[in-house]
Amino acid sequence: MSEAATPRPRRERPGPLEYLRRWPLRIMVGGTLLFLYLPLITLMVFSFNDSRRNIVWEGFTLKYYEKAFSNASLIEAFTNSLTIAFATTILSVILGALAAVMLWRFRFPGKTAAEGGMALPIVVPEICMGVAMLVFFARVMPWPQGLPWPANLGAIIIAHTSFAFPFVATVARARLASFNRELEEAAKDLGASEWRTFWDVLVPHMKPGLIAGALLAFTLSLDDFVITFFTAGPDTVTFPVKVYSMLRFSISPEVNAASTILIVVTVALTAIGLHLQNRNAQKTKA
Amino acid sequence: MSDRYPRGASRRSILQQFGAAAVGISFAGGLSACSSPGERVVNFYNWDTYIGPTTLKDFQAAAGVRVEMSLFSNNDELFARLRAGNPGFDVIVPSNEFVTRMSEANMLMPLDRAKIPNFANLLPEFQDAAFDPGRKYSMPYTWLVLGIGYRKEAMLNGETPNSWRYLFDSDQYAGRIALISESADLVRLCGKYMGLSINNIPDEALTQIEQMLIRQKPRIKKFHGDDGQDLLASGEVDIVLEYNGDIAQLMAAEGGEKFDFVVPQEGTLITSDCLCIPAGAPNPDDAHAFINYLLDAEAGEKITREIQYPTPNAATAARMDAAYQSNRAIFPPADVMAKSEYGAFEGDARARMYEEIFTRISAA
Amino acid sequence: MEQSWRQAKAAFAAIALPPLAWLLLFFLIPLAVIWAYSFGENTGPVTIDLTGTFANYLRAIEPIYLEIFWKSILIAGLTTILCLVIGFPVALAIAFASPRTKTWLLMLIMLPFWTNLLIRTFALIAVLRENGYVNFALEWLWNNASWAMTLAGFQPLGEFEPLKLLYNNAAVVVGLVYVHLPFMVLPLYSALDRMDRSLMEASLDLGAGHLRTILLVVVPLAAPGIASGVLITFIPALGAYLTPDLLGGTDSQMIANVIERQFKRANDWPFGAALSFLLMYLTFIAIAIQTTLQRRADRRGA
Repeated sequence: MSEAATPRPRRERPGPLEYLRRWPLRIMVGGTLLFLYLPLITLMVFSFNDSRRNIVWEGFTLKYYEKAFSNASLIEAFTNSLTIAFATTILSVILGALAAVMLWRFRFPGKTAAEGGMALPIVVPEICMGVAMLVFFARVMPWPQGLPWPANLGAIIIAHTSFAFPFVATVARARLASFNRELEEAAKDLGASEWRTFWDVLVPHMKPGLIAGALLAFTLSLDDFVITFFTAGPDTVTFPVKVYSMLRFSISPEVNAASTILIVVTVALTAIGLHLQNRNAQKTKA
Repeated sequence: MSDRYPRGASRRSILQQFGAAAVGISFAGGLSACSSPGERVVNFYNWDTYIGPTTLKDFQAAAGVRVEMSLFSNNDELFARLRAGNPGFDVIVPSNEFVTRMSEANMLMPLDRAKIPNFANLLPEFQDAAFDPGRKYSMPYTWLVLGIGYRKEAMLNGETPNSWRYLFDSDQYAGRIALISESADLVRLCGKYMGLSINNIPDEALTQIEQMLIRQKPRIKKFHGDDGQDLLASGEVDIVLEYNGDIAQLMAAEGGEKFDFVVPQEGTLITSDCLCIPAGAPNPDDAHAFINYLLDAEAGEKITREIQYPTPNAATAARMDAAYQSNRAIFPPADVMAKSEYGAFEGDARARMYEEIFTRISAA
Repeated sequence: MEQSWRQAKAAFAAIALPPLAWLLLFFLIPLAVIWAYSFGENTGPVTIDLTGTFANYLRAIEPIYLEIFWKSILIAGLTTILCLVIGFPVALAIAFASPRTKTWLLMLIMLPFWTNLLIRTFALIAVLRENGYVNFALEWLWNNASWAMTLAGFQPLGEFEPLKLLYNNAAVVVGLVYVHLPFMVLPLYSALDRMDRSLMEASLDLGAGHLRTILLVVVPLAAPGIASGVLITFIPALGAYLTPDLLGGTDSQMIANVIERQFKRANDWPFGAALSFLLMYLTFIAIAIQTTLQRRADRRGA
């Protein structure tokens, strides 16, 4: 029952479950995308604004793009944010997957406490966790200073992972709820080791949950301001912290330019990725 | 099930490609930020755009020391960052009250005057300060006042809003007013409006102030966090409580015909942003050299030209042009300055009280 | 059926140890320090004495703070409901789309959220403010309607009054929905995707309309996804402080704004800690209620 197969002629009525082809849902999805993108389009348009304060449109210019490219601290903040986000995502997915399986599969003393503990990072107000991390890395476990990049981002990465992996675990666990345990037992009966069962049976089922969780973790980390502010050292500026500190004197179009570049790069990478995926799919079919 | 696998696997491969690309970008960018061992670095924690365009590079050329500038956006953040211990900053820029607060908490290193000969450049009134007796811990960087920024064409009968009344106690510009969200500054300015001194406001007066602001609240659009000039520029409000330098920058950008700035006749709160060295700074010698450099006449001139704030540095002021020196938005008239005072740090308990007042006003 | 850990000790150790150890070291211990602070007193600008006092908690349950808690719960609740109402159809549409479209749509939904929150919020301000695009569009419509009416011989409409869409509680809700939508869409999508479609098709074949099918078949099956989406939307929304700070008016103070001020300007870490923990206790009670209700429903269902 795959919908991917034959292209249907346009006039034919949509199949019973092809919701996207029905106009009410198209309006819904279209409206949501409009709501999401209108501010973004504004942002991109205003990155060409010839005005330092960037409140009113005053003319077209590319100079802020030049400034953004040559602004070393902005680029450094950017790369720091990206690096932290990637490291956090990888760690969070690993820890989140393990946590989800742990809670789904096993019965053990103190399980309720573990569940509560996993929910805590989602519940804690960010400011509280930021201060907690500040005190932790200052008094309890000092992070060595003056480490070379990227190790100096370690404190931030640890802090981000701590609050991101429960999100991944929650989403992955919801996914696991629909897993048929008999499949796991069948695999074991057929002689698969624990590791193979985990890797070849559980993980593929969890994939949509893990991917959704990875996207969540990446977003949470890339955008985080509060916790990063408290755990960053003097030489580790990240993008949100830099932008927030510009608040006092108005955010210049440079920042818009940098954000637009990020959006364009992400879209380009996605397009390339999808293109390669399609080629991959063609090859496996042929 | 089998045709699902390529889709799932290729979603993963997209992420892999993302990962590879991002690691590539990160490495390229990040390597440029690597510091070589043995290099002398000063970690400078400053407000954003509060420095000249080439100041840091000029200092590096002059002294051979690199400056890494990190940014914060208000004094509370600075204090919260340093409270549990200095994470490695050499020079910081707190405002006057925070100089007192941090020196009382032993968070600042006493300055070695011998290493800062440019101290002689300062105007006499800044060579000592009530908030830092003997200038033991701080050197002045800029000074600033709070006042009223306004849109000229929106003023009734073309009048100049020359009193705090228009912000705190009048419905003339209802719905078009913005005040700062700094609880202590706001409460003390209300005290100034009522004719009291900024410091040591008695408790009955505090109750009156709270009632007055609660009455005024429906007419206020927003308690802004120091971006009042943007609210004014974008047309959200017509009259705003803001710092003189912020409005001066706005006037310079938009031309002085649309907006103006006035310090109300009752007098106002003076603030001074100062350069300090936090305790536990890794590189105090170069920190002193950097502070000395910032007090230099020529470096100061470049900075002041850029940021348009009043300077406490006589040598710098002498080099600035007449337009700057006579700009009433930057330098308020003397009679008003005579009635204005520096805010003193009155202790944590009082700060908490001001915060509670603000919480009650916001919740009312 | 869950398996007892004793039956596979090695596997259990390998699976459970990393996340639990991480949680303990890098989360519970720092949090415990702050928890200890909530029982402390300020004895100086930077020192806190752990005296075991309850004064901070007593202060935290004063009516003024409870009012603020309640208001935050209302705003976060409204945000979650809106996210669910908007997010569910969107997740449904994506889950049932063709594979190519699916990936594209997911990326499109996620993309705005890789833009910095502050910049997005400022862009939202540019859209909603009195001189913003919504008002520009409405003004254009108004003026044209006015012109059309004069053509038809009626009096023209009066001066256009821009809508005050910003700096009030409605703006805060809009901003929060804007920020938290993917936190609702992603878990919903993950639960709806690969759901057993034959049940849905059976229901449709038996004559139930789409709406009935969705409400009576899809929603119960996707319940874990809905629950996790609600959880990871409501709770961060409750603790949001940047959005109410930037978009809210004088009336839009939420509990996280108060907590933030305690940790910063008021320099009152014990009280800030007490407020934070009170918030967490309340949230836990809510989660516990929800879990108990769910267990009862499961038992009844099974």
